[in-house]
Amino acid sequence: MAAADSTSATLRHRDLCSRGIRLAGKMRSDVVDLLDTYVEQQGLDASANVAAVEGVPVAAVERWDEQTGTQRLLENLAAYRAFRALLAQMLEEQQEQLGEADATLGRALAAVLLQVSAFTYHLEELLRLEDRGPPGEEAAVVPEPPQLSLFERKLRGLGVLRELAQWAVRSVRDLRQLAKAGSGSGTAASPAESP
Amino acid sequence: QNLKCVTHNLRKMICTWDVLSEGKHGQTDFCYTTNDLPSSVCFETKEKRVEIPVPDSSSTVTITTNSSSGIAFATKEFEIHRKDILFVPLTPRILSLTPDFSTSTLNLKWSDNGLIFPYGLDAFWQIQILRKEATEKVTQVTYYSKLTHEDIILSWNWTSDMPLECTSHYVKIRCYINVTQFVGPKDWSEWSPVGEVPGKDTEPNGSGVFPQDIVVAVGSDLTICCVHEEGQQIKQMTYGPEIYPMIPLSSRSSAIRVLNASASDASGTNAVCTLSEDGTDGAVLFVGYAPDIPENLSCETSNFLIIKCTWKPGRPSGLYGKRRSKYSLFERISGKNVSCKVNEMNRERVCGFPVLADQKTYDFILGVSNPIGQTESSLLVDLTQRVHPKTPEKLTVSGNSSTSVHLHWFINGSFAEIRLLCQIEISTGHSERKLHNVSMPGGKFSTHTAELNSLRPYTKYQFRVRCSSADHFWKWSDWSRVEEHTTLEA
Repeated sequence: MAAADSTSATLRHRDLCSRGIRLAGKMRSDVVDLLDTYVEQQGLDASANVAAVEGVPVAAVERWDEQTGTQRLLENLAAYRAFRALLAQMLEEQQEQLGEADATLGRALAAVLLQVSAFTYHLEELLRLEDRGPPGEEAAVVPEPPQLSLFERKLRGLGVLRELAQWAVRSVRDLRQLAKAGSGSGTAASPAESP
Repeated sequence: QNLKCVTHNLRKMICTWDVLSEGKHGQTDFCYTTNDLPSSVCFETKEKRVEIPVPDSSSTVTITTNSSSGIAFATKEFEIHRKDILFVPLTPRILSLTPDFSTSTLNLKWSDNGLIFPYGLDAFWQIQILRKEATEKVTQVTYYSKLTHEDIILSWNWTSDMPLECTSHYVKIRCYINVTQFVGPKDWSEWSPVGEVPGKDTEPNGSGVFPQDIVVAVGSDLTICCVHEEGQQIKQMTYGPEIYPMIPLSSRSSAIRVLNASASDASGTNAVCTLSEDGTDGAVLFVGYAPDIPENLSCETSNFLIIKCTWKPGRPSGLYGKRRSKYSLFERISGKNVSCKVNEMNRERVCGFPVLADQKTYDFILGVSNPIGQTESSLLVDLTQRVHPKTPEKLTVSGNSSTSVHLHWFINGSFAEIRLLCQIEISTGHSERKLHNVSMPGGKFSTHTAELNSLRPYTKYQFRVRCSSADHFWKWSDWSRVEEHTTLEA
């Protein structure tokens, strides 16, 4: 019986990983489109230099290939919970600033927020397979943004979306790594894989 | 030599003189007399300056300079005529200099020292606004007031062409009092000590682009500045897509001048300051129009519960979200005011106002305002003449006769105050249509009935109904759904 259970868990794990990879890939292309819309609609320069934004988890990671599967999932989960809160904040600000004037950006933001929420749930599912389950939500509380001027908020939004696009790329790699480890190959990431 | 007398208050004068010979002198004996003094008034002084009363016509002054050992070595007599005495008002003192950063306005308050002067004198105040360590004069204004024999605090506002944060502003003031009854020469007072409003370029963490997140009218001329840290350089300043030439204000502040600003996009126009070491700072400016006068304001009721007012907004303001134009409906007779929830993207705007008990006439003022301006439209309306009933519902047709039927329908609303005129359309398959009008008391959320006679037996009819006010026609309701009925055989 135990063998049957572990096989179904492995199948479930592989299925979640492959669906997660597709979701992250789609999210990335949508975030890139959203970035273009955002830059144009906010009148920003696409090459604008944006300092690190407080509360936005950084996708780049050192010794990526040494991370365990659980570490990858936990870091991904923390990031996307933060992005979920940040995007919700952006959507609220967008509504306050523009009302119905720019529904296009509002809808695109809402669509990406939906995907981030879905992907967050997905990661929680993967963590449940690991018997330890996802950490509580309070770990992901995003600090209240300091009193920012409108321009600083515009730049902050740009920073959030850029980092989200980076995370989507990293998530695809993390999940591929998980899928590989899940199928027992357990090989370390090939150099080409590391972000 | 050179005895000069100056008065600041027309009662006392300060006289000063020179002593030609070199070397150390002792005390000076100063005597003066006027024709209304019984004898001379004398006193000693070390200064070459004394304060004595202003004479009605003239004073005779004798100045004896003594050596340090007290021996008189020079005496001179002077005749001071009233017409030779110079009148110079006291130097004004700035009581307060208060900046309002949100409107870039300086408020200056000072005392006119009017108490010491007779009532009704004309006073002129020259006010200078300066920048760059009070070296560059920005403007000079002459302000006029009348003295009232009281010390009055005068107040004056000045709106800067640039945000006050951009750099320090300095103010000084002097005055000239036209003492008509004083025959001597008159002159401006000294300039007051300078009042200062420090700019952000004097604060350690004062950097930023200013003005921040303001709303201005299309066509405005804007001065936008970038305040940065000591040692940083501004690479460029842009407004929207354009790079602008920079105007240095201080070592930590430069500005650009945008003339005749055009309307910005919904998210505002960015003013961006690109700094050395990849620094970027910026501000968002919203350039739009004041709201247009609402056009075609019209109000009607469909149920005598809510009055629905509609209008066309006119030219879009270009301002959205929390800066959008906000509408409110004020009814003068009842004094009731309703704020309207309006979707700025809809061409037609709608606002609901409750029908008030025992009030037939409504004197509406539709007010609209946004950060740039406000306007209004008004409309006086007799509600009974603006009835546009809802579509009749639940139309049913019954009848057990070959030539007549009964129609029943329901209208949502409270029309007890008026009579209704309803029109029944009778049609048969061969595009033959007849209209039958029937009027009836209004009623409150009630069902209405009508009987139709002289129909043809064993014929399939389609019926539909619409209603309006019988007494003062305004608009028909929409047609109800069609209801079919076949009359019985003869």
